[in-house]
Amino acid sequence: MNGDHTTDNELSRRAFLQRASAAAVLGLGVRDVWGQRTDDLVVNSFGGEYQELFEKAVIQPFEKKFGVKVIHDTTGTSSQDYAKIRASKGAPGFDVAAALSPPEVILGAKEGLLEKITEAEVPNIKFTWDKARKALPPVAVMHTLQFDSLLYNKDKLDKPVSWADYWQPDKRYGAKVKGHVINYNPANLLSVYALIHAAELGGGGASNMEPAWALLKSQKPWVGVVVTTSAEAAPHFESGEVWISPYWSARAGYYISRGIPYGMVVPKEGVIANIDSASVPIGAKNKKLAYEFINFMLEPATQRAWCQAYFCSPGRGDITDWPKAFVESQIVTTQQFESVKLPDLDAIGVNRKDWTLRWQEVMG
Amino acid sequence: MRSGVPAHWLLIALPATVLLAFFVLPNALLLSASFLKSEAQQLTAEPTLDNYRFLFTRPLYLEVFLRTFAVGIAVGLIDIVLGFPLAYFLVRSRSRFKGLLIALSLAPLLASVVVRTYGWYIILNRFGFANDVLLNLGVIGERIPFMPSTGAIIIGLAHALLPYAVLTIMGSLNGVNPNLESAAMSLGANRTRTFFHVVMPLCLPGIAGGFILVFSIAISAYATPAILGGPATQVAATAIYNFIIQLLDWSLGAALAVILIVCSLLLLYAAARLGARRAAL
Repeated sequence: MNGDHTTDNELSRRAFLQRASAAAVLGLGVRDVWGQRTDDLVVNSFGGEYQELFEKAVIQPFEKKFGVKVIHDTTGTSSQDYAKIRASKGAPGFDVAAALSPPEVILGAKEGLLEKITEAEVPNIKFTWDKARKALPPVAVMHTLQFDSLLYNKDKLDKPVSWADYWQPDKRYGAKVKGHVINYNPANLLSVYALIHAAELGGGGASNMEPAWALLKSQKPWVGVVVTTSAEAAPHFESGEVWISPYWSARAGYYISRGIPYGMVVPKEGVIANIDSASVPIGAKNKKLAYEFINFMLEPATQRAWCQAYFCSPGRGDITDWPKAFVESQIVTTQQFESVKLPDLDAIGVNRKDWTLRWQEVMG
Repeated sequence: MRSGVPAHWLLIALPATVLLAFFVLPNALLLSASFLKSEAQQLTAEPTLDNYRFLFTRPLYLEVFLRTFAVGIAVGLIDIVLGFPLAYFLVRSRSRFKGLLIALSLAPLLASVVVRTYGWYIILNRFGFANDVLLNLGVIGERIPFMPSTGAIIIGLAHALLPYAVLTIMGSLNGVNPNLESAAMSLGANRTRTFFHVVMPLCLPGIAGGFILVFSIAISAYATPAILGGPATQVAATAIYNFIIQLLDWSLGAALAVILIVCSLLLLYAAARLGARRAAL
């Protein structure tokens, strides 16, 4: 007998409560450690400043409208996300790949790892830019558009006007620019586009990149920073170390709005557009909700909120009530979109590995 | 009558199963992928030796391997040179704070390698602490890009892996009877001679073990080389990552990984043999 009037084999009320509490805590702990519930929707996109803006403009309103929980997986670049899809044979643990770029989408279609998406699943697909729909295989839905602009430090450099100002910085800016030029690994599509511009400066293009390698060699002594992802470049802008860089228009617009002394220009030779698209891996658990999410991304209210927050152009051309400042810097009409240069995606898909190896040989 | 499976087989059954499932099997898949052709980033069923031919004929990848092994050897040597005196002090110290000192010397293991590496990033970058100090002291006239570079990778890894060398050497030093040193000195040997002719030879297995451990981790390290070396100063791990994750070319990535594993095993075998022979002498 003990003080609680129970025998050794009996459970006291206090002991019972202690054990029940421990079991509950353990149970909750296990669930929290395990994390995802089967009815949660897992959306993969980017981290950094993108994460906060995307959650506020897209994810939270979606959760509110559909009464579901969205887990935002912010790990990885587009190619890293596709590597996960491939390694898991289409079941990477996320239901929506919300930030794939065209080369990964094309590969996903070839390898049969992304679901085909039609108007039946995503009714808003009919409002997306016609030219973008034709450029992408039917396993991805364009939701926004960016382009490769030139970003420059206004305190240090005069406004660049040509891609040549980036590729031959010494000719335009002299010795002071040494060590303040950034270059990107072609694993980042931004680098591929910049190299295509370099090739075009020398009379080549995606089918003849020799002029690009010559310019890369001549630029190398002036380069101070080499990175792979666009996010890696951001601290170098904030520290003022990098004075000129190709950069995605959306991120450039965002950083400028945050007060860094940089300006963004569209060089006279033009820019190449990057189609941001969303796909559903074939092994996704919540396909129905995944399609709803993609459809929701294309709703006019979502497009307005997201595009203005992230300084990107919309995925559909029928929204007309944009603010004046937004219209001046973005592509919002069909006429504008028709004039946008889309990249030769097949050439990029076939040659990207060789270009990267060539880049490594020059920069290594 | 006793029958059935011997007890020692049962003991190793679980670790053997885990190793088979999570090491041997993935590596077998890796090996097979290295002999398959990739076309437009897609793995085909066509067998080929082209992946190895490609890697062995490109100077870039020979440089990558040379850099990888140079980093491994340099980091191993630096950590042995730095770790031995520290381990000796920690083992021989009679301070009441001995436990605390050991904990402090191993404390870096508690911080993520990424965090420790970013510490070096802050120090070594062109606008970092090292450049500021050297400029202010007038040692340099203009900022020096200490990174990205092989030297920065060596510094970062040597710092990150030092506790492994210290721990291994301490284990060996703990097994050396201090009376042997007293005996050597009572027979006329001075401290230096005692150290080099008594302590060091008895610690050789620990030194070899520390070197092998640090070398193995250094040649397969990814985070530190990626941060301090960047995309233009590649080592084997970052090149493999680049092939498999960025370029989605599994064949070349697998071939590079196989070469790294084979070279590492050969070098480790040679180092282990050498360590064992010297220890036996």
